Amino acid sequence: MLETLAQAVINGLLIGGIYALVSIGVTLIFGVVKIVNFAQGEFVMLGMYISFFLATYFGIDPLLSLAVSMPVMFLVGVLLQHFLIRRVLGLGDMPQIFLTFALSLFLMNVALLLFTANYRTVDTPYSDSALYLGPLYFPVAKLIAFVLAMTLSGVLWLFLHATDLGKAMRAAAQKPEVAMLMGINPDRVFCVAVGISLALAGAAGSLLMPFYPASPMAGQTFVLMAFVAVVLGTLGNVKGALIASLMMGVAESLGIQFVGADSGLIVVFLMLLLTLAFRPSGLAGGAMR
Amino acid sequence: MKSGRNPTSPRRHRRRDFLKVAGGAFAVGAFAALPYRARAADQVNIGALYPVTGSMAQIGQGCVNAAKLAAQMVNDAGGIKSLGGAKLNLIVSDVQSDPTVTRTETDRLINGYQLAAIHGCFASALTLIASEVAERAKVPLLTGSSSDQLNQNRHYTFTPFARASQFAQAQLQMSKLISDKPKVAVVFENTAFGTSTSNGLKEKAPGEGVEIVLFEPYSAGFADAGPLINKVKASGADMLFSVSYLNDLILIVRAIKQTGLKIALNGGSGGFVIPDFYKSVGPLTEGLLGVAHWNHDCNADAQKVNEVYKKTYGEFLFEYAGGLVAQTFMIADALERAASTDPQKVRDAIAALDVSSGYAAMGPGGKVKFGPDGKNIYAHPVGVQWQSGDLASVFPKDDARASLMKS
Repeated sequence: MLETLAQAVINGLLIGGIYALVSIGVTLIFGVVKIVNFAQGEFVMLGMYISFFLATYFGIDPLLSLAVSMPVMFLVGVLLQHFLIRRVLGLGDMPQIFLTFALSLFLMNVALLLFTANYRTVDTPYSDSALYLGPLYFPVAKLIAFVLAMTLSGVLWLFLHATDLGKAMRAAAQKPEVAMLMGINPDRVFCVAVGISLALAGAAGSLLMPFYPASPMAGQTFVLMAFVAVVLGTLGNVKGALIASLMMGVAESLGIQFVGADSGLIVVFLMLLLTLAFRPSGLAGGAMR
Repeated sequence: MKSGRNPTSPRRHRRRDFLKVAGGAFAVGAFAALPYRARAADQVNIGALYPVTGSMAQIGQGCVNAAKLAAQMVNDAGGIKSLGGAKLNLIVSDVQSDPTVTRTETDRLINGYQLAAIHGCFASALTLIASEVAERAKVPLLTGSSSDQLNQNRHYTFTPFARASQFAQAQLQMSKLISDKPKVAVVFENTAFGTSTSNGLKEKAPGEGVEIVLFEPYSAGFADAGPLINKVKASGADMLFSVSYLNDLILIVRAIKQTGLKIALNGGSGGFVIPDFYKSVGPLTEGLLGVAHWNHDCNADAQKVNEVYKKTYGEFLFEYAGGLVAQTFMIADALERAASTDPQKVRDAIAALDVSSGYAAMGPGGKVKFGPDGKNIYAHPVGVQWQSGDLASVFPKDDARASLMKS
């Protein structure tokens, strides 16, 4: 029993790491640029296909293809901010929602057209192996994904707190006008923020590829959890999103184990409802941390 | 695709009479270009209704390929001898994975081409409609679709292969391959398809002496199958029935491997036993079990057809396509005995069919004889296992062509 419980917690934490990468991306864009990116899941999907094609046609391990998917997605993010998002900033919520929602539909359908609806898998030597610790097991692919996800989150945190650009980003998030007075160029900061956010989505895609099949709809599974985590962990709060993602992974896993396999999400959403009822601003409270 | 001449035209009869008198069929061959020859020789129109566009397009196209191959085989062997060597003329129609189109297309074909018989449509939902239309028009229809409804109140519909109701039973019996007292976990997505299939398994389990230790619905499209498999592990099952669509199934297979859990997995029929499954899932398929109404290793004839098909299309002859090659030969056998293209006479000849050799009889059971409900009384499903990217028959004993690979 205890062993089953422990295993359920491990499973939840491991997948929570992936949720974290997606939700940190969403919360970062929201915190800095103040828009909700509904297309975040589709950028995860693109990251998956980048890794899939690199693995299939060039034999590059999905984890190594992080070195491709992250910069490529960063660039996509910069272009996205510069050519699309920038144009709808300050126009109110509706144009922003429509922009990213349309982008989500567009990317999904382009993927359907180009890559077909087939499920694509990549096999790596570690895809189906696990580390054993007594009766407990840690699937290697998920463990690597978790460790790298946590590392990337840590690097992002350091970047936000210890570099000038990171500090400028937080300043622009808190008070754009004052930041501009201090000589910070918000356009540039926004571009970098969206770039980083998409790079994280790309990383999530690459990290998923060894154990999750790519398909045009693959992003949808993760984006729903990401949005819940973002709200749960206070919109715009990176640390909050990270912690909330891990909590949700565990809650889902425990829900499946002890309530029912079709009720995992019920537990997660119950958590969300309770949080909204008693701490409407989210578990973490403040904004950009 | 939808070409084919109207054989009711008076010209055709004049030509036939002429040929009979002149006895000069060879002259036609010598003079005419290919399309002309088909027009000159006597031919029997067979309707083939398959979805070659829409959601089932890939499988439907495979069916059409097999149907053409089968007609070619009959024709190459001299056609229908009792009809003066008449060739089978396949009239293919695309039913577009759509019930409404199926209805109009079946009507159009029957009214336009004086069909002797029809085969189709792969998906039970479509076949049920085509069968209704064919019944009303009194044209015989053969199908590999498994819905038991196709055997109710029908006189022109014939089902040479195992029925849906037999599949659950076969799947349960297969779990005895793993252990004498199998403990089965059933996980299924909580949709109509998942629920009805798994309820069928649950109902029949006690009768087959199979204990179900976990009966777990899940919501499709999860991010991680780990928690679900953790639950299966805790149940102590040694056999897992997974009623799932592809995405979830891939995650389940992966999670089982990662857990190091020693459990056999049976994925049932349909999309689980076609070459596309291997294309998507790859080496992970190794050792997975399923059930099918036909498999290409069932006998030497089937293997021969499989080789030809494989050479042309690059993948093995899958369940439904192989079954319809056999169906084409059943139609040919009936035409031979009826010595007529009149659908009523062909229907009676199909009803009286009794074969135990040749291409018509290739399939599990190796014999075809229809009962009053149009069911082949010898039909039963075959248990299959993925072995090195191919499907091998492993159950029941009489149909097993390879030994079971234990996980």
